Amino acid sequence: MKIVVPVKQVAALDEEFELLDDGSGVDPDFLEWDLNEWDTFSMEAALQIRENADGDGHEVVVVTVGDEEAEEGLLSCLAKGADRALRIWDESLQGADVLAVAKVLAAAVERESPDLVLCGVQSSDAVYGATGVALAGYLDLPHVAVVKGLDYDAAQATATVERELEGGLVEVLRVEAPALLTIQTGINEPRYATLRAIKQAREKPLQVSDLADLGLEEDAVGQAAGSRAVALKPPEPGEGAEMLNGSPAAVAARIVEIVQERMSG
Amino acid sequence: MFLLAATKSRPVFWHFTTPLKVLWYVLAVLSVLVFLYGVARPIVKWRRGHGGPWPPYPWRELPRRLATGLRLLLSHATIARRDHLAGWAHRGIFYGFIVLFAGTVVLGFNTDFTDPVFGWNYFHGNFYLAYKETLNVLGTVLIAGVLAMMVRRALIRPRKLDYARPDRNSDDSQFDRRVYEVGDWAFVVILLVIALTGFVLEGVRIAMDAPGYAGTQFGGWVVAQIIGGLSHSTLAGLRHGLWWFHGLLAIAFVASIPYTKAAHMLTSYLSLSLRDRLAGKRLRAIPPERADLPAGYGALSDFSPLHLMNLDACTKCGKCHEACPANATGRPLSPRDVILELREQANHAFTAGGIGGVLGGLINEQANGDGFTAGVIGEDGVRTETVWSCMQCNACVEACPVGIEQAPIINQLRRRLVEEGELDANLQSVLQVIHKSGNSFGENRRKRGRWTQELEFQVKDARKEPVDVLWFVGDYASFDPRSQKVTRALARLFQEASVDFGILYDGERNSGNDVRRIGEEGLFESLAEQNIATIEKCEFNRIVTSDPHSLNTLRNEYPDLGASWTVAHHTTLLRELIESGRLDVKGRLSYRVTYHDPCHLGRFNGEYDHPRRILELLGCTLVEMPRNRDNSFCCGAGGGRIWIPDTPGQERPSENRIREAVSLPGVELFVVSCPKDVTMYEDAIKTSGNAERIQLRELTELIEEALVPATQLVPA
Amino acid sequence: MSGVLVIAESRRGELREVSLELVTAAREVAEAAGGQLKVAIIGADAEQVGPQLGAEGVDEVLTVTAPQQHFEAHVWQKALEALIDSEQPSLILAGHTIDSLGFAPATAARRALGFATDVTAISWADGPRAVRGAYGDKLHSELEFPGKECTLLTVRPGLFSPATPGEGSVPVRAVEANLENVARTEHIEFVEATAGDVDITKAEFLLSIGRGVEDKDNIPRFEQLAERFGATLSVSRPLVDAGWMPSARQVGQSGKTVKPRVYLAFGISGAVQHLAGMRNADTIIAVNTDPEAPIFSVAHYGAVADLFEVADELEQALG
Ligand SMILES: Cc1cc2nc3c(=O)[nH]c(=O)nc-3n(C[C@H](O)[C@H](O)[C@H](O)COP(=O)(O)OP(=O)(O)OC[C@H]3O[C@@H](n4cnc5c(N)ncnc54)[C@H](O)[C@@H]3O)c2cc1C
Ligand code: SF4
Ligand code: SF4
Repeated sequence: MKIVVPVKQVAALDEEFELLDDGSGVDPDFLEWDLNEWDTFSMEAALQIRENADGDGHEVVVVTVGDEEAEEGLLSCLAKGADRALRIWDESLQGADVLAVAKVLAAAVERESPDLVLCGVQSSDAVYGATGVALAGYLDLPHVAVVKGLDYDAAQATATVERELEGGLVEVLRVEAPALLTIQTGINEPRYATLRAIKQAREKPLQVSDLADLGLEEDAVGQAAGSRAVALKPPEPGEGAEMLNGSPAAVAARIVEIVQERMSG
Repeated sequence: MFLLAATKSRPVFWHFTTPLKVLWYVLAVLSVLVFLYGVARPIVKWRRGHGGPWPPYPWRELPRRLATGLRLLLSHATIARRDHLAGWAHRGIFYGFIVLFAGTVVLGFNTDFTDPVFGWNYFHGNFYLAYKETLNVLGTVLIAGVLAMMVRRALIRPRKLDYARPDRNSDDSQFDRRVYEVGDWAFVVILLVIALTGFVLEGVRIAMDAPGYAGTQFGGWVVAQIIGGLSHSTLAGLRHGLWWFHGLLAIAFVASIPYTKAAHMLTSYLSLSLRDRLAGKRLRAIPPERADLPAGYGALSDFSPLHLMNLDACTKCGKCHEACPANATGRPLSPRDVILELREQANHAFTAGGIGGVLGGLINEQANGDGFTAGVIGEDGVRTETVWSCMQCNACVEACPVGIEQAPIINQLRRRLVEEGELDANLQSVLQVIHKSGNSFGENRRKRGRWTQELEFQVKDARKEPVDVLWFVGDYASFDPRSQKVTRALARLFQEASVDFGILYDGERNSGNDVRRIGEEGLFESLAEQNIATIEKCEFNRIVTSDPHSLNTLRNEYPDLGASWTVAHHTTLLRELIESGRLDVKGRLSYRVTYHDPCHLGRFNGEYDHPRRILELLGCTLVEMPRNRDNSFCCGAGGGRIWIPDTPGQERPSENRIREAVSLPGVELFVVSCPKDVTMYEDAIKTSGNAERIQLRELTELIEEALVPATQLVPA
Repeated sequence: MSGVLVIAESRRGELREVSLELVTAAREVAEAAGGQLKVAIIGADAEQVGPQLGAEGVDEVLTVTAPQQHFEAHVWQKALEALIDSEQPSLILAGHTIDSLGFAPATAARRALGFATDVTAISWADGPRAVRGAYGDKLHSELEFPGKECTLLTVRPGLFSPATPGEGSVPVRAVEANLENVARTEHIEFVEATAGDVDITKAEFLLSIGRGVEDKDNIPRFEQLAERFGATLSVSRPLVDAGWMPSARQVGQSGKTVKPRVYLAFGISGAVQHLAGMRNADTIIAVNTDPEAPIFSVAHYGAVADLFEVADELEQALG
């Protein structure tokens, strides 16, 4: 059995960030990188399935599209127990949108022909929530999005999953492998990778490929892109809240005032 | 006396037939063999631990260490500490036993060696009298000691001798510790019986032989007065019977020493001799040859031989049990019970493989039996909640009279739990945050120096220009809003006293002291390496920090990674500045205060006096809490506990401590000298409802208060 | 290709509100886009629900009847593709909902559409333009879709006011699609969310805490604060994921949708899925240390402050 887990190294904005002068993006100095929260859950789900499966020869492969910054996230996945990692990067992928990334992932995943592909529901920086299902579209794989419960029967190669709907409603459904699932937070408790394990993970296989290695043309990837960003801006000023200033005591006093006024009115 | 002395002696084997003599010697030799086997066995067991070197220290250190151990033993300093009754009683038993035992050896040497080989019998005359006198006195002392211990156990019943396990429910089968109680009582009773029969035997002899110099043998003399009326044949029978009884009991006792509670005579002495001066203060790195194995202790075979030996050395004295703040506040942890639990597991798992196995094991390290590779942590072993209850405060190590390393052993268990992901979710995310951002607050590293912005002067960047004092600020002092106030106050004091100082700004990382105590060794190493690389590039004379945790690891642990700096606590520097008059604050205050010794400053680094001296110089009256100095009570933040949620409803160690402080009459201020203490106690004062009664001050704040010209002082 | 196609949504026989919001959004660009405004509904119940979609401005309602009783991603995906083939729209709007997330990206990928999700504003200038959040909604990103004949956007629910449902005057047309044997998942059952000790949707005053409270340890303190303040305690999702609070207390898309008189948020960033559950509260007050936190964009009052310090003071003030 083989499970592929696509992951993303996400950027969080520091509290006081600055935009690049040309407005095309954020000054990288103010970005803090981390493995996407959702991907820690999909990774854990993959590891648990492997650990619960009978016999040997099961493999968890973690793959990412990203520059060197992304390697740290891969290492933490390897440290937690992934068997092998693949990082795909090409300068032309700078700023690639969700469909372009899915296209690249599709080429890589296809070569692995896994039984399961486990993605995170969304990434916390771009928040498209679409990479996984787009990938399934390219690969023509059965898919279920927003999975908060997963029971994989390796012998039958079927997964019984809980799909989380609005309002806490849950749909239970069954899907046959090979399939792609997007995993929701809270489905498990992601394990901790010790620093020692992360250091040791450097010994594990981590392959770096470019588009050509995957047999992809730069143009094809470019055409797959669903959009082009033309500007990045802070939200319009004025549309926000009336700010309560002053010391915590002053803020608290105002809050009490507002609450009392609104609750009595 | 002297004239008479020439004829003073007594036959060793009185009216013994040769077969009986032979029997006696056979039994004696057997007893010695059984004894030796019993001594060798645990050594083989200790060598089944592969987590550290064997021998624990180079052989050449052994004589010096044994001598140091002996000095400690003879002085009884560690045993008598914090428990004078037990100290005196143990002294009685110890010296009594040693002398009686030595007496027997001296006698045996005479009978079995000098007399038969050289025809030289020194067992008469003055020597004999002195011998008798000594043995009588010490025998009495022994009996007194044993009786005192019995009274202590039966009537006084100190809490530390209560074997109830805080890590088990009373309906748990492992809760039952009656075996220990039986063993304890058997030990004291047998000692008593041996000593008493010795006296009775002497009494019978005096009654029969009426040697006329009974004054030196007062014990026997007393007995002789009582039994004097018995007929000669009764006495003779008694004498025979008693001789055998006393003799057999004694050799049986010798044979049993390594197998019973008496084993502590050997193991505890050894453990005390091998004691590590820095135990718990400097945790040991993972040995390079084990780099590829899982970290820490998961099974007995992972233990270091030293730690396996530690397990055998525990006397169940309960000093650590009593000192442990986790135990005192109802957590499921007692360091004593961790040691005993592990010892039981080791003894259960160990199969020596008979005499051949033991002999082989002494020469070569041997493969492990299954028991040694089975996990020690679990529901029936040391429980995970036990391991995580520890604050790594080192109170146990400090208290242990025989040099056992409870806290470092617990730390090793944690290393394994961390590796297996068996840690609290909060703690886990804090570790991730520290890894990411280099501080436990998850703040951007650029903000580390931000506390300086509110100062009226610029704080030097020690990476850019040479400084006299490199100030390692630490996480709490840098980021915690309450502590930042103290940090700025300290900077102002340095400025006032024209100290040439600088900080590392965003170059500084969490020092790793607590990370290491959590058991995340890899993260500790990486933080330490980053700090060392940064500091190494700076020019300075000494490092000063207000954070005792950072102080400890910079001073005691970084040297293992190649650093060699002078590291001082801010209280040391402040004392210098006040004494030299650079800070003019003497006698300005008149508060009644109490002072809390931070574990990492006091116990870990022996610094008790600078803060006290500063308080005195300021003019404050210090009222000590009952638990002070090396017996200080942990605030509960240590060992990463500050990041592990407490069970609601349970008293927190910090609250327990505040209760102690407010019970002191008239104390207005609770003075601390550690940023974590500021957080912990400010909170505890509130949550324990004592905000009206006592206030918290960091020592620095008091000094700054004193710096204000006297005219502006608001009356306290 | 021309015209705007709205993909409406129903669940268990009921039209979901986002469908009529999409109609409003579509109306704003329909004219510029040229062509007709059509609203399609896919499902077993398409024909029953269909007429309500004929709101003002809608030219035609399309129904695609699915063999499955409930949503099935692969069937919906195929149906959407059939709609694209038959209607040739230049812009498709769907809701940014769990169901859409389950199939729209696959169609976009397979048909090489212009594509963006969680769109908050749409305009037309020589083709569609869209605005969506970036870096967790702290910034806004403007997108265009060059070279795309058809663009599919999923629109954030709750931003556009829903159009008034139609009364059957707009023509309804059934679109044929071969949807037999297309399903690749098997529905087993629906499981309702478990009811908790309290019903936060009934509360008039919610004190809501998020990941900013950091520590499980701190929760009792806010329980007490809420009690003293006369508020009911609610939480954001991470506190439920961590097992610190029951899911019945969770506000947001996958939790409860609440509309109290006052919603006081401590340490909640204001992720879209959280906002989905509370943006309609009468008065929203947010306390957060991060001045860029998106919650401030929906809050009526905001304070950039440490929540613990404010809590301290509130405790004092409330005595
Ligand atoms: C399909 C789906 C459904 C979802 N459903 C829901 C849902 O129903 N409800 C929900 O809430 N989420 C939901 N989410 C998750 C959502 O995307 C966010 O991850 C989540 O809402 C974040 O919660 P938070 O704001 O508490 O945490 P964070 O985003 O981590 O924000 C914490 C905030 O606290 C602030 N803070 C930190 N410390 C302090 C301090 N001392 N003082 C003041 N402020 C401080 C920080 O600045 C930050 O803004 C869903 C996600 C998906 C994909
Ligand atoms: S280190 Fe402190 S808390 Fe831990 S066992 Fe020892 S005394 Fe108890
Ligand atoms: S470990 Fe040391 S202090 Fe604790 S009971 Fe044993 S001998 Fe006493």
